[in-house]
Amino acid sequence: MASLDAARSSEPLSLRLRRGLGNGRVTAVLILLPPALILFTLFVILPLSESGYYAFFNWNGYGSPTDYVGVENFERIVGHSIFQTAVGNTLKIVLISLFIQMPLALVLALLIYRKTPTNAVFRLIFFVPYILAEVAAGLIWSFVFDGNYGVSASIAAAIGSEPYFLLADRDWAFVAVMTVIVWKYFGFHMMIYIAALQGVPEDLIEAARIEGASRTQIVRYVQVPQIKPALIVSAFFAIIGALQVFDIIIPLTNGGPSNQTHTIVTYLYTFGLTRLNIGFGSAVGVILFIAAVTVAVFYQRFFMKRGAVA
Amino acid sequence: MADVRLEGITKRFGSLTVIPDLHLTVPDGSFTVLVGPSGCGKSTLLRIISGLENPSSGRIAIGGKDVTKTEPSQRGISMVFQSYALYPHMTVAQNIDFGLRLAKTPTVEREARVAEAARILALDDYLDRKPAQLSGGQRQRVAIGRSIVRKPEVFLFDEPLSNLDAALRTQMRVELAQLHQSIDATMIYVTHDQVEAMTLADRIVVMNKGRIEQVGAPMDLYDRPETVFVAGFIGSPKMNFVKGAAIGHEEAETVGFRPEHVTVSDGGEGFEAHTKVVETLGADTIAYVEADRLGELTVRLPGHIRLKAGETLRLAPQDEYLHFFDQNGQRMEVSR
Amino acid sequence: MSRAQLIRNIARVAFLCLVASFVLAPMLATVLGGFKTNAEIRTGALALPETWNLEFYASIAEDPMFWRYLLNSLLISIGCVLLTLFVGAAAAYVFAQIRFFGSRMLFSYLLLGLMFPFATAILPLFIKVRDLGLLDTYWAVILPQTAFGLSLAILLFRTFFEQLPKDLFEAAYLDGCGYVRFFFRFTLPLSTPILATVGVFVFVQSWNNFLLPLVVLNSREAFTWPLGMMQFRGEYVTQWNRTLAFVTLSILPAIVFFLAAQKYIVAGLTGGAVKG
Repeated sequence: MASLDAARSSEPLSLRLRRGLGNGRVTAVLILLPPALILFTLFVILPLSESGYYAFFNWNGYGSPTDYVGVENFERIVGHSIFQTAVGNTLKIVLISLFIQMPLALVLALLIYRKTPTNAVFRLIFFVPYILAEVAAGLIWSFVFDGNYGVSASIAAAIGSEPYFLLADRDWAFVAVMTVIVWKYFGFHMMIYIAALQGVPEDLIEAARIEGASRTQIVRYVQVPQIKPALIVSAFFAIIGALQVFDIIIPLTNGGPSNQTHTIVTYLYTFGLTRLNIGFGSAVGVILFIAAVTVAVFYQRFFMKRGAVA
Repeated sequence: MADVRLEGITKRFGSLTVIPDLHLTVPDGSFTVLVGPSGCGKSTLLRIISGLENPSSGRIAIGGKDVTKTEPSQRGISMVFQSYALYPHMTVAQNIDFGLRLAKTPTVEREARVAEAARILALDDYLDRKPAQLSGGQRQRVAIGRSIVRKPEVFLFDEPLSNLDAALRTQMRVELAQLHQSIDATMIYVTHDQVEAMTLADRIVVMNKGRIEQVGAPMDLYDRPETVFVAGFIGSPKMNFVKGAAIGHEEAETVGFRPEHVTVSDGGEGFEAHTKVVETLGADTIAYVEADRLGELTVRLPGHIRLKAGETLRLAPQDEYLHFFDQNGQRMEVSR
Repeated sequence: MSRAQLIRNIARVAFLCLVASFVLAPMLATVLGGFKTNAEIRTGALALPETWNLEFYASIAEDPMFWRYLLNSLLISIGCVLLTLFVGAAAAYVFAQIRFFGSRMLFSYLLLGLMFPFATAILPLFIKVRDLGLLDTYWAVILPQTAFGLSLAILLFRTFFEQLPKDLFEAAYLDGCGYVRFFFRFTLPLSTPILATVGVFVFVQSWNNFLLPLVVLNSREAFTWPLGMMQFRGEYVTQWNRTLAFVTLSILPAIVFFLAAQKYIVAGLTGGAVKG
């Protein structure tokens, strides 16, 4: 053993170093891990912590924050009627997602999950909106809803009624927004279900059929229970997604008319960033963060037994 | 070429001791087989020799050099894995060549060695294929080729034949035996299959629960098993064990006799047994019988005997082939 | 096929076609709108154009700014993909291959990013990017975008890497191959399916991202295409045909890409995101 060590230390330093670098676990950890840690800390964790700090200041983003205001920002936000509308809108999106979008996606998935050429075409069509950028989707639909030029204008002209501006209607604008959201995202949920349905063993379904189950009974008692994990995950995406809606709103309504169609993020953007109320906006960010973490933790606790995403 | 010495090897995983204090010398040039049931620590021991695992304590010497703290690639060993562990994205030639490249072997020599290995293993036509395009036996050969080119002092095999079907396994066994004869290196081979152990080894190490039960030449183990465990593990079908008292050997706790060491007697000596299941193999007939006071036994009879289930036989173990064990399961000599 | 089955099948296809038209009609109106005069759009948004005017499409294709936006988006997206794949895979490899003190903790730390959306930290991010002097550079988008995508990438990579046979590493290790070399010579080449899946996911996310570029890119020179599109819309408020032509041309690459790499895109956007 001693002789071996001696032999090794008589090697030139560069060679020893190279061997260390070649085989070393430590070296591997020190080379491969830090980039991720640095990037993540600098651009995720640090900004997030700063949100929590700035939220207690009245600050326009220049110099350093000095005007400590305590929880005043939070009080103003929670008392702000537009913020309350935004939260309400977010909840509406959640409800629409759970009770219209997901059932629609499930029905479609059940209709086309089998691998046939026609089904493949429908699958493709239904998925296209999802790959479009939200902004493009919003812009396309703002054309559709445009009472002067768009599809609704043509329809109005065809039935001989006055031009109607859906997106300018305080009561109906958000319905229009939600239509676009369903249009954009149902294909995503459908694809999750299709993947899950294709994973249900065919002999389970055949066994049920032999036992005399009807088509709806098979869906009800075999297929839906089997894809429950997929349903749970897709509901999670729907809820987390609802908290993040932003891109679609900007081209459609930009939060209007009279601030009726804000979501939490458009609220943050409009009242925090565009007015450089960094402290105020950060406080909105903190609220959003708490909401997202609550959903994630709650969800993990109650629905996700095995470590699915988040 | 080199011998392998293990001194006071222990291995613990957390609070679980897999190997308590093991000593073993594998002689230079031997084909030593480590055999034992799964979980007996034989694979762990092989991995400790290879350097993939570090012993919790103890020393490993290869060719007289202490390698306990040496990197695996510097130990002068090579290893063939159960799964072959071929690199799927490399061709056969690249697979065989990889270790040499890392060792910065000159190109000319590398090519020569790869060509030689390919010739020995009849892989010449497959050098440009990827592992996925090879049959099981060919993959096995590539794995062996990867071992050979490094010209190791010690070859390690970790259950290399267990993924092959029966026919191929027999064939590869012959090839491995030939390989050992032609390159004459030290080989350490791990298997749970005692047939493989008996046919390949010139020395067998029987392991049980992290301890060595017995070391010896295959026929030594067969003729003179030192413990009940070895007696039961070596030989197929398994040795029969009965209480000493049941057949008139009160001094021994357990008496064992092999199925092939039982004769059908015409009367007088022996005991009555009822056949329950009969397997006719041609050369042999294996009968599973039930005897009063002795319980279920297995006997191997000549192939020409015609037996049916439910018949009654008179059986007598051959006296000179009885094995006696004390209450600790250790062999004991009994004067007859 | 029995009569009942036939009826059921017709109902099924009819329903599917109905949904398909709900999906396709707005897109069709958009593509066609780019060929029409404004007056024509007004009366028949869904009808075929009387004459196929190519001038609106042509004027956009001739606009260097249009190409500039696309190029910016492309470079930023490629930057995000490369950085995510490399940095994420390297970290995931360490977690999958090497046990060391604190590895579980660091892993959980890096997964925190799965818990909250981008927007929560957008304001401090803006301040940070500004203070680093990165505003209006590609890095202003690439670095935060990558950082936020890392958690999911690392999770998916680690799961995949752990499923690579352990023997492979041991065999290579016996051959004298070290940890770092194994990553480059084995782990990366053997992981192309997951690299493709994550790569596509990151690309699409980055290509479509709006909020982050909106906040950190102010000069038109640096605009990505969604920003450029909004800018264009603002300039030609009353000329829907130009805007529609712009929209069509800018979503065209995404559609083509989708049709070409469908398998990976669907896996990356659904299956890939669900597993783990």
